[in-house]
Amino acid sequence: MSTSLEPVASPVRHLPGDLAMWFFILAELTVFALLILTFAVAQALQPQLFHDGRQLLDSSTGLALTLSLLTSGLFAALAQEQVRQARPRRGAWLLLAALLSASVYVLLKLGEYSHLAGAGLGMEHNTFFTLYWILTGFHFVHVLLGLFILGWLAERCRRRVYGPGNCSALESGVLYWHMVDLVWVLLFPLVYVLN
Amino acid sequence: MSASTTLMFCWLALAVLSVTSVQLGNAGATLLMAGAVLLAALGKAWLIADGFMELRHAPRMWRWLLLGWPVAMAAGVLLTLQFSS
Repeated sequence: MSTSLEPVASPVRHLPGDLAMWFFILAELTVFALLILTFAVAQALQPQLFHDGRQLLDSSTGLALTLSLLTSGLFAALAQEQVRQARPRRGAWLLLAALLSASVYVLLKLGEYSHLAGAGLGMEHNTFFTLYWILTGFHFVHVLLGLFILGWLAERCRRRVYGPGNCSALESGVLYWHMVDLVWVLLFPLVYVLN
Repeated sequence: MSASTTLMFCWLALAVLSVTSVQLGNAGATLLMAGAVLLAALGKAWLIADGFMELRHAPRMWRWLLLGWPVAMAAGVLLTLQFSS
């Protein structure tokens, strides 16, 4: 009597990039979580102060910052796809596009920082602006590191270092960039939008 | 649907949710509106985690860890707003 069972097809689960990068991302998210919750608790203690502080920020600038980061994330993800399809040169161009889009974020953010500092709304102005500068400044430093990583990855793609079977380092770099995006999508409503 | 097309749909949804959240924020200062804005942020976080970071096909533990972070943040923010209102 035949008792053979059909093998059950189960999807192969794969974690892109290096495992070390995922632990690094978890550590970063933990630090950002502490900052975000500190901002939220301070807001609960001084709601009027945070409402007034938020009125001094331009939500359309916040939206432009968001769109530039998300567009950069799209280009980075598309670059990774091109490398997997053995088109590293196209990947390099897409990473450069990601770099340019992220540069828009940097320019807009520097403009906002300059405007706020010029208006006397520096870190010591009040609790809202202390936490605004710490939270967005810490994120801004991550964006600057991300620019460096994107440029480095683009150069490596141009030299055809990465290919379909050898792109774990590229995936790790791109994952870092998506982590920067992920943090921003929570920072954006908290700092610019919520009333 | 190719991977590139999926990524572009993700980006489009992210852009729509971003614009929507600003409009919701301008529409009023109620707890309900704040909840809607945070819900839009959660949708964006899910698109980034599952779409851009490819966690949809990753081991479950990592997927839930990454998806749990925005949920915990949104819940924390909503809780503090509840206390301040």
